[in-house]
Amino acid sequence: MMRNPHGLRRRSLLTGASAAAVLAAAAACGEDGPAGTADDPIEISFEWWGDQTRADITKEAVALFEQKNVGIKVKMNFADFPTYWEGMTGRMASQDLPDVFQMDYSRLRQFGTSGLLLPLEGVVKTDDFREGFLETAKLDGTLIAVPAAGNTLGLIYRADWFEAHGVAAPAPGYSWDAYKADIATVTAGLGGGKWGGGDWAGQYHFMELWLRQQGGSFYTEDGKAIAFDQAKLAEWWQTTADLYAAGDVPPVETTIEWVEGGLVQDLLASEIGWDNFMPGFSPTVEANGGTLALTAPPSLDPNNLGLYLKPSMQFVIAAATEQAEASAKLVDFLLGDPEAIKILGTSRGIPATNTGLENVELDAASQAVIDYEASVAQYLTTPPPAPPAATGAIEVKFGELYQQVQYGEMTPDEAAALFFTEAETLLANEQ
Amino acid sequence: MSASPSTTAPPAATGAGAPPAGGSRGAAKRRTPPSRRGERLVGYTFMTPWIIGSLVFTVGPMLWSLYLSFTDYHLLLGGEFIGLENYAAMFDDPMFGRAVKVTLLYVLLAVPLKLIASLAVAMLLTQSRRGIGFYRAAFYMPSLIAMSVGIAIVWKALFAGGGPQDQFMSWFGWDGGGFIGNPSVSILMLVLLSVWTFGAPMVIFMAGLLQVPSELHEAAEVDGAGKWHRFVHITIPMLSPVIFFNVLMETVHAFQLFGPAFIIGGTAGGPAWSTLFYTVRIYALAFVDLRMGYASAWAWVLVLAVGVVTLVMFRAAKNLVYYAGEDNR
Repeated sequence: MMRNPHGLRRRSLLTGASAAAVLAAAAACGEDGPAGTADDPIEISFEWWGDQTRADITKEAVALFEQKNVGIKVKMNFADFPTYWEGMTGRMASQDLPDVFQMDYSRLRQFGTSGLLLPLEGVVKTDDFREGFLETAKLDGTLIAVPAAGNTLGLIYRADWFEAHGVAAPAPGYSWDAYKADIATVTAGLGGGKWGGGDWAGQYHFMELWLRQQGGSFYTEDGKAIAFDQAKLAEWWQTTADLYAAGDVPPVETTIEWVEGGLVQDLLASEIGWDNFMPGFSPTVEANGGTLALTAPPSLDPNNLGLYLKPSMQFVIAAATEQAEASAKLVDFLLGDPEAIKILGTSRGIPATNTGLENVELDAASQAVIDYEASVAQYLTTPPPAPPAATGAIEVKFGELYQQVQYGEMTPDEAAALFFTEAETLLANEQ
Repeated sequence: MSASPSTTAPPAATGAGAPPAGGSRGAAKRRTPPSRRGERLVGYTFMTPWIIGSLVFTVGPMLWSLYLSFTDYHLLLGGEFIGLENYAAMFDDPMFGRAVKVTLLYVLLAVPLKLIASLAVAMLLTQSRRGIGFYRAAFYMPSLIAMSVGIAIVWKALFAGGGPQDQFMSWFGWDGGGFIGNPSVSILMLVLLSVWTFGAPMVIFMAGLLQVPSELHEAAEVDGAGKWHRFVHITIPMLSPVIFFNVLMETVHAFQLFGPAFIIGGTAGGPAWSTLFYTVRIYALAFVDLRMGYASAWAWVLVLAVGVVTLVMFRAAKNLVYYAGEDNR
């Protein structure tokens, strides 16, 4: 028998099976959402950027949340900053955002104006934030984020190395030229593949600082254009040119391979950076036998440091979430639960809530950050308005083009010209 | 399948290609073995998952991206029809030239090197020796894992400053450091990765080599032809269809290299845009800059370019490729 006598029957069997599958799928769809009990928990997702240390403590805090809120399960994920945003951008387009996620001030407008974020007024607790903090979480008057913590720029440096090589401790009002001279001294003293400071010219935030010190800003007030010209950018990119040429800052061939950063890898004596990074660096530096200190970044004008208090990161809830209530619970917990605050420490910055500030446990490094912020309080000026939606892409372009300058593939003028072409296209693209 | 002609089918339906008999599909008829039409229907039914898959995941998105390439579509804000503006803008885009240069350089380096390596190894592996099966498997192995994220990360470590490559080359007086941080040689990492994974063309070459009639070699040997002459005048011409196939496939693949380049160089094609492949730039335009319309135009230019290259190759092949038994072509 070559013909299968059961052919027909098999076919009807298959039809039956697929019909059953369809029915089962339909039944699953017809079910109500999870009950939110231990057996049938609500599941929400929570994602952030950061390093392994932050991941460990965040997971610990979330475990405590799950313990206190039986019936809610939190699916977690994290990545480093560039990877995180690359992923979020794609997911933003496909409307596949996590329920709760960490937001950066520079991306708030992009997400906010696209209607991807849940308005939070009345959804999360807002009565406990430190003064002025909530303003930076609003976009055109609507609250769409809550600040997790604040930070400002500073100069993080190895006090032990500075002292050993006869450099006086920098203090607020320190000039860029003095900083350059000190870098050269420390580099010469350290020798052998260690440097007095890093090349700061590739960071868009540092240029903003430098512009603010001259009374300028990066974007115009309406956020539609760049507020400086090509010559200014070329000038900024040349602020480290002599240090770079002399080998007083590490070459790009070296830094491109750094994973944890120069301070942590015991290779750099100083770095301009966000002040909340210091508690993260501190344990490793101490294990290497060093001491970190924090002061104001160099300035062009001792009376205008260009600093402002910025939300270091924010928490947001996706507009598409099906579990707004559980998501809000998680946000409230992370910002307002005394035990959670103890676990989370200052990894995300100095807490933005009063409860947070009262309950956070401060090690010496975190205390140094608080002291530093108090010491520059008199210099803090009004934050710039939430930057334009294209900021994320512009920031990436800024770094890429400066790398061309470092490798000598482009002159600062050529790179600046290309930056303006690209940035203007990106800004126009958002309008 | 069935050796005996179907006894129940109406006579009209027995001829090849004849239209199947129509008729009602009553309950009585269902019992009858399937007619041609029915069989075809069943065939298509079983294919539906793939048909739906290719429509939904390949054809549909391709048409959509073709449409997008004529718009200024922003990934979040949407966009409007702008005609050919995106295509015109590419001519003024300084990044376009760079991306094309990097990609062409890679194609011109990687394809010949990979094919030479795979042909050489294929010739070694077609000898009959003990344990040849093991060697064949061993040489094929890299191509199974090469395009994985894991290998790209390992590759990155191999070529880091102070890594194996740097140390090895330092013995010979190299002072350029790891390839990772050196824009003038960084593309070689990807070329080497491609050469290392010569498994697929190697297997095809082996099949081709085994089909070269041994009489030809024997006759030539009797006439006093040396190894080199036999290789150039017998092996290469007899192998030319296989060589053509491999050149074509590898070229098309090389133009589309993305994964390893993306992992090793990132969206910025680091260091200093030296690994800014065309595909990486498309990704950056679409998902960093969010300019989906413009990125689509880039993608379609790549499709066209690969199409043109393929066409040129087919034209060239008419004169270069020898098909045994088709002497009058």
